[in-house]
Amino acid sequence: METKTSKNVLIDASRIITEALVQSGADVFIGYPITPSNLFYSYSKLRFPQFLAGPDEISVLQWMSGFSAAGKLPVTATAFPGLALMTETLNMAYMMELPMVLIITQRLGPSTGSATTGAQGDLKFLDGVISGGMPLPIFSPSNFNDAWTLAHEAAKTAIKFRTPVILLTSKEMVMTQKSFDVSTLEPLEPIDRSIKPYEKPYQTYKAGADKVPVFLPLANELEQVRFNSSTHNNLGLIGKNDAESLGNTWRLKEKLETRIDEFTFYEYDAQTDAKNLVVSWGISADAARDAVAHLRKNGKKVSLLIAKTLLPVPPKIYEIIDQYEEITFAEENMTGMYKEMLYGKRQSTQIKVATKFGTMLSPSEIIEKI
Amino acid sequence: MPFCPGCGHGISTRSISEALEQLGYGTKDVSIVSDIGCAGLVDPLFATHSIHGLHGRSPALGVGVSLGIDNSKKKTIVIQGDGGATIGLQHILEAARRNIDMTLVVFNNMLFGMTGGQMSGLSTNEFKDYKQSADEADPYDVVQLAHTAGAAYTRRVNHIANFTPALKEAIATPGFSLVELASLCTSYAMKKVSEYQEYIVEEEKFLNDRPVGHLPLRQTKPLIENMKGLDTLFGNNLNGRIGVLIAGSAGGGVQSAAQQLAQAGILAGLHSTMKGEYPITVGTGFSIAEVILSKDPIHYTGLEKSDVALIITEDGFKKVKDLLAPQTKVWIDDKAEIESNYTQKGFSKAGGKKGAALSAIAYWLNESGVFSPDALLKVVENHKYATELQEAINSYKKV
Repeated sequence: METKTSKNVLIDASRIITEALVQSGADVFIGYPITPSNLFYSYSKLRFPQFLAGPDEISVLQWMSGFSAAGKLPVTATAFPGLALMTETLNMAYMMELPMVLIITQRLGPSTGSATTGAQGDLKFLDGVISGGMPLPIFSPSNFNDAWTLAHEAAKTAIKFRTPVILLTSKEMVMTQKSFDVSTLEPLEPIDRSIKPYEKPYQTYKAGADKVPVFLPLANELEQVRFNSSTHNNLGLIGKNDAESLGNTWRLKEKLETRIDEFTFYEYDAQTDAKNLVVSWGISADAARDAVAHLRKNGKKVSLLIAKTLLPVPPKIYEIIDQYEEITFAEENMTGMYKEMLYGKRQSTQIKVATKFGTMLSPSEIIEKI
Repeated sequence: MPFCPGCGHGISTRSISEALEQLGYGTKDVSIVSDIGCAGLVDPLFATHSIHGLHGRSPALGVGVSLGIDNSKKKTIVIQGDGGATIGLQHILEAARRNIDMTLVVFNNMLFGMTGGQMSGLSTNEFKDYKQSADEADPYDVVQLAHTAGAAYTRRVNHIANFTPALKEAIATPGFSLVELASLCTSYAMKKVSEYQEYIVEEEKFLNDRPVGHLPLRQTKPLIENMKGLDTLFGNNLNGRIGVLIAGSAGGGVQSAAQQLAQAGILAGLHSTMKGEYPITVGTGFSIAEVILSKDPIHYTGLEKSDVALIITEDGFKKVKDLLAPQTKVWIDDKAEIESNYTQKGFSKAGGKKGAALSAIAYWLNESGVFSPDALLKVVENHKYATELQEAINSYKKV
């Protein structure tokens, strides 16, 4: 059996994610500089086959939409202030069903807040970012191996489901350097983007049983395509609330929710007879891992769930959580946003939150809550 | 036509179609990029590819379409109204600055026709007086602005007979072209073109002879494959985990010294992390770095309380003093003006301002015996400033 030689380096997740996206076939990085996504910008300038500096975040996402409509897979990286400016265009790209990947590096808000301080405070904004309540796929890496695999899955999901996908990170996840054995990162294959068979006459938004219309780019010689951000029929022309057009809008939700098993990612470390479950995501996941290890070492039975597909919420997450009597959410924001997304704001003795604002949530602060 | 009877947008649309046909473009050669407003109703009138986006953003969308297609035989035609041209003015200037190969046609009826006839940034003062609008600010001259920004071809056309010839010229010009067409809104302006002509801006035309903007496709090198692996070359005497805080000021080499400590730790067979913190203005104020060294893999990378603190400046001390626990072993540079009982050492005297952090790290490594300062020397041996860095590391012997 062939054994790999380990290769330890000091590395950050910005580099890992950038390389993974390029290996997955992403074509172009379009960016506007913002802390703490700076490293994505500088790595992408070195690595992407094409790199373009936008004059502002609205232009960035509009340009990306144009590239995507022309058949390219574009990527950007920003933080909340940039995301806020991109929001209208994010809705446009979602409605047009244009594949793209947006890396959001969370930092301390509100507003410009503290640009060089990490946070996990953008999740609820993203939960409602699509006007109408449709879900936007959001993946959140919890360590460097996740950074590699989820970047690839983000590109794959974007193309497979014709949708923007968010890779939700935070400052400490993508800027802190760690010793890491990069030989554990398996080489990635570019995502298949060959044109799938389609029913004639071709209609830009006519979908089959998989609920995802076959993508053809602008300027192609095969068929006329019409992308549209307004409510539209199968042809891609504006429809005034007719059944076909509204059906197309419903399909945006259905294509993701009915096939969520194809992009459900989580880590479940179950302990037999445990009644307590720690749930975490993103940068707080490592603190949760340490907290659970410490508790187990001291005889406490406790299980751990790290959510990696945050939205739409996979049914598997509820299925796991429902097996426990007491659940503690660990996250770096003021109120426990992931908890609120699953349970609302109502307090409960069974549902606890270990939160931190302004600094990283530590293992001991999670242990205190259990 | 989806437009009101007598609306000028129909003539403008037909003129674009005629220009494209006369220039020999086929339906699959053209992508129409439109946005919101009455001018945004054009998509179904073209048997070409189309993409219908957001109010005012079509020039930016068109930039992406044109660069994404990247084929001089294909044409990107962007259409927007005067309202769109002002909300998206930056997009027009950027497309012109880059001289992207596309043609923007502005249907200027001097008002927002879809929302009740409000004045726009392209409404002339004469027209605003006629509409009894109180706004006295002069209108934008989008033709002049795009020209100044670098567009290859810009032109305002008021007379219908000139629409198609002007559009042909614009479309045939490589690079960014803009044609502003006067358009009558019969619902909110007036019913007759002859009356409307009294309120519009005179025709003008400008040229810039500039190269067309392209986005080259590059061959790039992998970011990870080419990284040099850090094999274990040194031993260590660490049991468990230790957190080292290095606190100085911007320009003092704190971040790079901490990174070199973390790399040296890997050479000594340890796991390591390095986290930097500094103000958003990176060239001034404090510069803090946290390094964790551990026998076991490191998950949580925070440092609740440090085991070791190497304080180089007052700025650094102010920022980290709350992280210093009673058990923290602290060394402070003797040039730093800090009143405390902590041990003072001459790191900056020995290593200089830029080498003080490295000097302090090497001093601590030697004192603690966690691993040899030789690991630091190994890390920097191929650095472009290797000599200076080695001097700074070895300066610990003089501390």
